[in-house]
Amino acid sequence: MVVEDLSVPAFWRRRTSYYRLVAARCKKCGKLHYPPGAACPYCGSRELELIELKGKGILESYSVIYSAPGESRGRAPIIIGVINMNGLRIVSELTDVFPDELKVGIEVEPVLRRMDEDSNKGIIRYAIKFRPILVSKSER
Amino acid sequence: MSDVVISGTGILKVGRHYSKSLKDLAAEAAFEALDESQVDSVDYVIVSSSLSYTEVGQLGLAGYISSYIGLTGARPLSVEDGEASGLAAVEVATSLVKSGLADNVLVVGVDKLTEFTSGRVYEDLQKIYDSEVFLLHKVGHAGLAGLLMRMYMEKYKVSREELSYWPALMHSHAKENPHAMLRFAIDPSAVEKSLIIADPITLLDSFPLGDGAAAVVISNEEVVKGKGLAKVKACSSSSGLPNPFLQEDPLKIGSLISAYQKLVEMTGIKASDIDVMEIHDSFTITAMMILESLGLSKEGKAAKDVAEGKYGKDSKPAVNLSGGLKARGHPIGATGVYMVAELSRQLAGTFKGVSVPDASRALAVQVNGFGSSSRLVLLERR
Repeated sequence: MVVEDLSVPAFWRRRTSYYRLVAARCKKCGKLHYPPGAACPYCGSRELELIELKGKGILESYSVIYSAPGESRGRAPIIIGVINMNGLRIVSELTDVFPDELKVGIEVEPVLRRMDEDSNKGIIRYAIKFRPILVSKSER
Repeated sequence: MSDVVISGTGILKVGRHYSKSLKDLAAEAAFEALDESQVDSVDYVIVSSSLSYTEVGQLGLAGYISSYIGLTGARPLSVEDGEASGLAAVEVATSLVKSGLADNVLVVGVDKLTEFTSGRVYEDLQKIYDSEVFLLHKVGHAGLAGLLMRMYMEKYKVSREELSYWPALMHSHAKENPHAMLRFAIDPSAVEKSLIIADPITLLDSFPLGDGAAAVVISNEEVVKGKGLAKVKACSSSSGLPNPFLQEDPLKIGSLISAYQKLVEMTGIKASDIDVMEIHDSFTITAMMILESLGLSKEGKAAKDVAEGKYGKDSKPAVNLSGGLKARGHPIGATGVYMVAELSRQLAGTFKGVSVPDASRALAVQVNGFGSSSRLVLLERR
């Protein structure tokens, strides 16, 4: 599979936001955004600190993509979701789950997963995806 | 400051124009607009195109189109703002005329979406969203719409069936519009049964891929004495957060609300004062979000309003009498120019299709993606 749009340097530059869920918090207004910009998109302040999003998230919405474009066609159906982590909503892929098991409001957690490979440039790309937190039957 | 008018319009049928190049499409629309306006000179040629680089492989498009249509020497300017490029071009043209820097500006919107397979085009369309986030996952352009549509249905307890009335309304308008791509009626029940693209979005919630070109000549009113289809009353725009989920309420389009507030401050005219409107219904959910962000429907009620018959030709405003992006079609960079050309014809009484007689105010509304930017153009009858 050839991924033409994302260059090796671009992928390398974005490694922290792709691999470690690093978001920015504005020191002035306190709001979070992801991925980090050059200034706070809410109040314009340039005083930002980077924070790593951790722990569980809540699934606020999801979509099952059956008609994935070009290079991603082989991965369909691809499930994506809106995950609320620490009050910040991010969009990511969901994994280890069947479409009919999905429900708004379930708890999810980030995991590192292989996305695809770029055979031209010799890169195997990984990304953070989210999976439902496993609950044993007795805890349900 | 000069008054600004639309002195000419050109509109091509949206479709699969395999036998015509991007420049051929642009020329056809431009000639129609120039012939209608009968201006004897053009100061600027502004070209709005979003995908010409990826689909056709052309940079510096405005210069090449100027000479192709025989306007060598005109000042060329290419304008791009994703899906909202068309209204961005109209905004720039209006500013040039209003300021006195130009007497006549030709605005051409053109894009070709059928040069390659739909898979490749859908991949390119994904670039309307923030590439920092969405180029990695490559899930296509409908995924975000699917997330928002489910959120809307859950939050407001709106059924799939209620949301299906919008595409049906759009097809009923497009059926009468000679330049629409999908000129057939559909029953609301067909929407749910069509191919699922990004659940809950189906094929009939989405726009078709088609080539298209539209053009308008924007002129100083004094220069085209006594002529012109409509007056450009005001243009407004605003940038927004990079994705809708960073907003407190993702189902409101922040940039549109901001652009609309500016428009009301400038003109005192509200959305409810408008007779005919063209809105950017890239998906059914986008239409609902726009109608609610403009305050025309209450939160969570737009789908029910449509199901009860609101926004048809007898409503004020009547919305998307062209058939909208859904059924007239959405040749990305050209769409905003289509809107302005169609609304100008509505105001002049020359629109061939479902029309509102004696309409005096018209509004074009565009959004890139789900609101990285939003744009409005307000037109009035001359």
